[in-house]
Amino acid sequence: MSLLTVARDDFTNARRSYAVLGVVGVLTAIVGLIFVSEISVYDDPFRTLFDVSFFLFLVFPIVLAPLTYLAIAGDRDGGAIKYAMGLPNSRAEYVFGKLASRLGVTLAAVVLAVGVGFVVALATFTNAPDVVMFAKFALVSLLFAFAFVGIYVGVSAMTSSRSRAMLGVFGAYFVLVPFWFGFLPVISLTELLGTAADLLGTELSQNTIQFVQALSPATAYLYSTEFVYQSVLPSSTYQGMTATFTDVPNEIYREFWFNAVVMLAWGVGSMLVGYVSFTRSELG
Amino acid sequence: MPAIETDGLTKRFGDFTAVDALNLTVEDGEVFGFLGPNGAGKSTTINMLLGFLQPTDGTATVLGHDAARESRAVRQRTGLLPEGFELYENLTGREHVVSAIETKDADDDPDHLIERVGLAPEAARRRAGGYSKGMTQRLTLAVALVDDPDLLILDEPSSGLDPKGAKLLREIVREEADRGATVFFSSHILGQVEQVCDRVGIMNHGEIVAVDTIDALRDQMGAESTVRADVAGSPDTDAVAALDGVRSVTVGDGHVEVACTQPAAKMPALRALDDAATVTDIDVENADLETLFDRYTGDDVGRDEPTDDGGQAPEAAAATGGGDA
Repeated sequence: MSLLTVARDDFTNARRSYAVLGVVGVLTAIVGLIFVSEISVYDDPFRTLFDVSFFLFLVFPIVLAPLTYLAIAGDRDGGAIKYAMGLPNSRAEYVFGKLASRLGVTLAAVVLAVGVGFVVALATFTNAPDVVMFAKFALVSLLFAFAFVGIYVGVSAMTSSRSRAMLGVFGAYFVLVPFWFGFLPVISLTELLGTAADLLGTELSQNTIQFVQALSPATAYLYSTEFVYQSVLPSSTYQGMTATFTDVPNEIYREFWFNAVVMLAWGVGSMLVGYVSFTRSELG
Repeated sequence: MPAIETDGLTKRFGDFTAVDALNLTVEDGEVFGFLGPNGAGKSTTINMLLGFLQPTDGTATVLGHDAARESRAVRQRTGLLPEGFELYENLTGREHVVSAIETKDADDDPDHLIERVGLAPEAARRRAGGYSKGMTQRLTLAVALVDDPDLLILDEPSSGLDPKGAKLLREIVREEADRGATVFFSSHILGQVEQVCDRVGIMNHGEIVAVDTIDALRDQMGAESTVRADVAGSPDTDAVAALDGVRSVTVGDGHVEVACTQPAAKMPALRALDDAATVTDIDVENADLETLFDRYTGDDVGRDEPTDDGGQAPEAAAATGGGDA
């Protein structure tokens, strides 16, 4: 089965380049350090998970970029694609073999990082960590990772040079995370939509704006973490955190299944677009 | 069934026509030399044969399969040594061969293939990122030989090879041809193909300008060789010029050039020259085929169309029927 051969070769090649070690190491270190630094701040590990989720929301897509953006564009840029595609691999086997390899590394990194957080919490926090909560957190983070790996490998499949792939990946990050969420006050999707609505002589409801925001995989991730804390909310100890999740409209975009579908759709959709583009592309 | 058959195969990149209505037939089991200078369109043609590039127009059939639509079936039975490629830098040479065997679902012994191309076992266990160009070529040749392919496509296979490696390559090409494989050997250096190829096709500016056996091309061009001699003084060379097979004699300052139209005229010309003058050094330029190649592919021919007097290349193309559809 040549998809597995493509995936294995890609994984071995990446593993020996320290790209894998770097990404797994950085993610694990970040999560571990957040837990360590909050040992004496909070009694409950789930409160630290809440901080971790914000950090991952902003930083995880950046950490994933170097692991993924060269998956296919790097082979095309350097010429290794002629070795890989000179063998009887179909373009689907090649593209999805690459995806499988990079996705495998990412999923391992998430599981390891959450596992390290769990161990630190178990050893040092006043209250013991809840296995179910950590497992749920790992699950929603995996969905988030799937979305971004799919987007980035999809971008890589659409580009033929390293520089374009890098531009595409960071462009995707900027649009999907700070721009879409409205992190930057001046340049944001909601500002643009508001202006467009003004020009049309109408006004957008807060509900519509939130719905649009929830269509980004990053926002969907933040919203989806509510699923992790179901058993402990509302909490009188952590009122800020409680407010984040309870003081929200009872709308479809705050449903876990909806957020999960958004993340899955971004990952699958981007990969399909990347694959179709790659099947039409000229190699050589 | 021919191994390769193209019909009006054309590839344009924007305004630039890289391959122009190519009609080429490579018979099953032959060793075909695909010659032309850099940029002639050889690699573009090969990339279309493998399905890497989609033709703008025309078709290519390789081993009975349409190259554009059934490229996987083509690649299943083809061994490829591409041009301008890289290996996976962190995989060992041996791992590349093993993956090729797996992908082709073959049962070759990777170590045997590595030995066959003259790569040391310890080198094969090192990462390919540290390989020299010659080692990379050898390793990729091993990959190409996996599963005894029906067709070997070798694109500039000698580049980076030392003379020993080039000799081994020729031996392997002959062995593969003896086994019954078709070999499509692309090169910009005529010397590399003339020793192994049954026929050659010469490509220039996207068009095939000649297809024939080397001997036939040689005859067709009336190719000649030149004897150069360093002599003392300015000898009288009338006796040399009068010999059969000597076309012209040029006397310069301390040297003489004798252009011979037949190989057998060289020794008589030298003897006659030796009688006429004190010869201190000689040099025979067997530039016959190179001259031929240059005449087909030289930049003075073909590029600045329209040619004012219908230069050699277009004429030859018409004679071999390779030019247009």
